[in-house]
Amino acid sequence: MKGRLTFALAILIVLLASGLALVAAELVSGALNEPAPKIANPCEPRPGRTGGIDTTIQRVVLDGLDGAACRLHTTREELVLSLGGGGGLSPHHWTEQQLDAALRAGLLQSVDMAEQRGDIPGFLVPAIHSAIKKIPIEQLIRGGLSLQDLLGRIGQ
Amino acid sequence: MSVAQPGVERRLLAGLVAAAVAIAFADSSIVVLALPELYGQFHTTIEGVAWVVTAYNVAVAVTALGLVLLVHRFNAAWVMAAGLVVFLGASIACALAGYLEFLIGARVVQGTGAALLLVGSLPVLGALTGSVGAGRRLWILAGTFGLAVGPALGGVLTEAFSWRAIFAFQAPVAALGLLALLHSHARAVAEEGWRESLVRTLPANVCLGLLFGALVGALFLAVLLVISVWGYSPIAGAAIVSALPLAAIAARPLERRLPRLIAVCGGAMLLSGGLVGLALLPSASVGFAVWSLALCGAGLGLAIPVLSDTALDESSGMTRSGTLTVGARHVGLVLALALIAPLLASKVPAAGDRALLKATAVLLDAPVGLDKKVPVALDLRGAFDSAQAGETPDLAKPFDEHGAKHDPALAATRNRLVGTIEATITRASRSSFFVCALFAAAALLVAVVFRRRVVS
Repeated sequence: MKGRLTFALAILIVLLASGLALVAAELVSGALNEPAPKIANPCEPRPGRTGGIDTTIQRVVLDGLDGAACRLHTTREELVLSLGGGGGLSPHHWTEQQLDAALRAGLLQSVDMAEQRGDIPGFLVPAIHSAIKKIPIEQLIRGGLSLQDLLGRIGQ
Repeated sequence: MSVAQPGVERRLLAGLVAAAVAIAFADSSIVVLALPELYGQFHTTIEGVAWVVTAYNVAVAVTALGLVLLVHRFNAAWVMAAGLVVFLGASIACALAGYLEFLIGARVVQGTGAALLLVGSLPVLGALTGSVGAGRRLWILAGTFGLAVGPALGGVLTEAFSWRAIFAFQAPVAALGLLALLHSHARAVAEEGWRESLVRTLPANVCLGLLFGALVGALFLAVLLVISVWGYSPIAGAAIVSALPLAAIAARPLERRLPRLIAVCGGAMLLSGGLVGLALLPSASVGFAVWSLALCGAGLGLAIPVLSDTALDESSGMTRSGTLTVGARHVGLVLALALIAPLLASKVPAAGDRALLKATAVLLDAPVGLDKKVPVALDLRGAFDSAQAGETPDLAKPFDEHGAKHDPALAATRNRLVGTIEATITRASRSSFFVCALFAAAALLVAVVFRRRVVS
């Protein structure tokens, strides 16, 4: 009888210990850490990939989004989600005109940064600036403009 | 009590009555896995669809507590028969419901019937099993198993057929219970008359109420997490949550060998630990969830039978004490639902927004073409919008529509992103699970403070 009680108590202790082990395993697995990634501050530079024309264009566009988000006091991600008339996550405090102006300003700035990095030859910069002032900006960000389109517009 | 059938037939009749008891307890949580389907069908709000669960539990609690001072005046078999008829009719009405308000109304009637059948069944089971003690043990077993198995059973029925099948399944169980009752002649069970005060059962009933409140975490929240956030089908979700009833059954031999107070305290600690485990889930981890639910089940299997045994006090009258304990348990469920529903409603939308932002960050930094990044992000936003309108978001669909099946980089991004979103939304339930763990901790405290009355 006493042996059965001891055995039962031992099982209960093992079960309770497995509860502690569970909590420990979850903590080790990052239960208290915020799931990656962290939303970056758009006003601070972030590392980007280089190499190839498509990669350079993509980096210019993404840096341009950062610049626009910084100007509008939001994040790059929230800015992207507000595109396309869906309304984004929460009511935003900018108008379509302010968004357009911020995007163009951000892109102009990111082209200058690309030139400083040596990703874009200096002689192309004035033409790209000119194109950025003319192109349908949302179409560019959505990836709807090919390099050929862009070069065509630069040539205009 | 004139029950004169041969042994096998009597056991069969007792089994059918016990099945009706189990289904009435299971009904507290049986529709949880069907909530997303109900939500989509009735185009309602989260609060609206939650009433399908809450209405039943409120009706059981109010009816049972309202009957505590009256029920001893009635013939228990007639109380049960009336409960079965009402439950049967309401189950059919629920299965045929064409709009939400009707379904909620039918659930109120069903809960009223359930309360009557639960309180009347105790003396009936005593008559069928030949002793009050055996009837009480069968009632406790049916109640514990029914409560634990509810979500899994509902999940299987929903996926195999539809949410209506849950109620259609209950009707024949109630009908068989009614036939068994009528065939058994247990209706000769007399009213009990006035007995000793029920006050001494209060600590055990408070513990039971608190533990049932804690079980809202394991029976409701965990189930919704597995289905609505992690995207498992109702049957797969039922397989995951079946860890709870299996562990509850496995813990029964242990409960019989332990001193009663240790079984209650150990059970409350295991339930609390399991709920903390669910609160601390770092991601959509089935392993951790099963581990946590198994601890909850073991806690349920240890604590509930002992407390039920104390709460069902023969000297106070089985029907009266049964009525009080049924009411106390469902008050605990309702109280926890009332606390958790607004907490969850306030946390989940914000977590959804945070998850979508993180998903967009993953996408923008992913090594995929610009022509995919923004369109997929906007389609993800659409998926979240539709989820807020009541659908489970299909997070893989926007990727697949933009060629993830043939683009390994996009497929890898999809897999990483889905994990990020699930981990972020999983954590939105954290505070609700902690509240449930506090319920279990409070039950432990009550058990320690009133240790003599809780296990007497």
